Amino acid sequence: MAKELTNFEQFKSGILDNNPVLVQLLGMCPTLAITNSLENALVMGAAATFVVVMSNLITSLLRNLIKPHVRILIFTLTIATFVTIADLTLKAHMYEVSKQLGAFIPLIIVNCIIICRAEVVAIKSGVGKSLADAFGIGIGFTLALSILGVIRELLGSGSLTLPGGAKLLTLPAAFEPHAWIIMILPPGAFLTLGVVVGVVNWLRERGKAGA
Amino acid sequence: MKKFIEESWLVLVLGVVFAMLLAGTQTAMLPQIRANQQQELLAAIVEVVPEMDAEQAPEEMDPQELGVDLGQLSLKDVKIYRCPGNGNTPAGWAVAATGTGFIDTIRLVVGLSATGDRIRGIKAVAHTETPGLGNKIDTKDEENFYPLQYAGKETSRPLQLVKGTAGEASQIQAITGATYSSQYVMDIVNEIITNIVPKLPAQ
Repeated sequence: MAKELTNFEQFKSGILDNNPVLVQLLGMCPTLAITNSLENALVMGAAATFVVVMSNLITSLLRNLIKPHVRILIFTLTIATFVTIADLTLKAHMYEVSKQLGAFIPLIIVNCIIICRAEVVAIKSGVGKSLADAFGIGIGFTLALSILGVIRELLGSGSLTLPGGAKLLTLPAAFEPHAWIIMILPPGAFLTLGVVVGVVNWLRERGKAGA
Repeated sequence: MKKFIEESWLVLVLGVVFAMLLAGTQTAMLPQIRANQQQELLAAIVEVVPEMDAEQAPEEMDPQELGVDLGQLSLKDVKIYRCPGNGNTPAGWAVAATGTGFIDTIRLVVGLSATGDRIRGIKAVAHTETPGLGNKIDTKDEENFYPLQYAGKETSRPLQLVKGTAGEASQIQAITGATYSSQYVMDIVNEIITNIVPKLPAQ
């Protein structure tokens, strides 16, 4: 049997070795759909992190009470509740971003990353480990979305936007005629994801060979 | 029954607790969400009816009272507003409606003169048209002239879309590379000027 991970190892694994998007290839739907700007990527990442943290916390607290055959029902109920809270909060306090993300915030309910963490970790682990796992996965998800968001927004729009609309960086106006519009369209998402996953795999293989 | 309760009590309890949590969040957030939506609508109306007094709220009219048969329209969620100007002079009308777009629906606000004879402006407040092409329906600068063309058009006859330069008064030039988006916006405008504008009372 594999060695039991410490809380810190569990946290780190979600960001690097078990990154939900770049290694496990889960949650592809929001990854492809909303990474056309850094702002969207960060807000989506934050919303998903909030949901996975709350879902892991509640599942872990109730793990001894949950009957095996109703567990999926309870996961879904918990996830749906916190997604709705995240959705309402965004609509109230970040109205413009919430309009851009549209249906993809409510769709976190069916994001397999979150139910996967409840099933794989939270249902059989203590609160500390479940939270470490949730934060690791949440940050790993946000990081992966942000990498795609930075590449796509920079090449497609020539700028980087932070949540709230502030520009982190704007390329000189001379860039504008050369912007790759395709990068902010759906094909750009597939191209970028393919390249980024390729680079991550290459780095992992190189790391294994070096070890 | 005992077995049923034993197996499902947690689901039932969680259902009640989560429902209360959601009700609380909804109650706390709803006023702000409504205010955001209202502010967005007001900003759009002031943009398409420039003479409107932004200090006053536009008055929402009941389409049925005006004799508009919503059942016959393909447009959804139609709202008609009477826009007050400075003093007691009427500034015009604004009609908000949702119609078909290229990718998803387009929510458009159309501003009309006080007598309804001319379009004052249009504004797409919500849409998911293609970035870089179709989304020029809501950007306004020297190159993205599309929405600006609607200002001043007469409402007595439907508008026509042309590729290349628009010659006649009732023609609108399509956005290069986004003929469908241009057409869908125009379809919404035409449906409004044909079916709703004739029913507007004189101000």
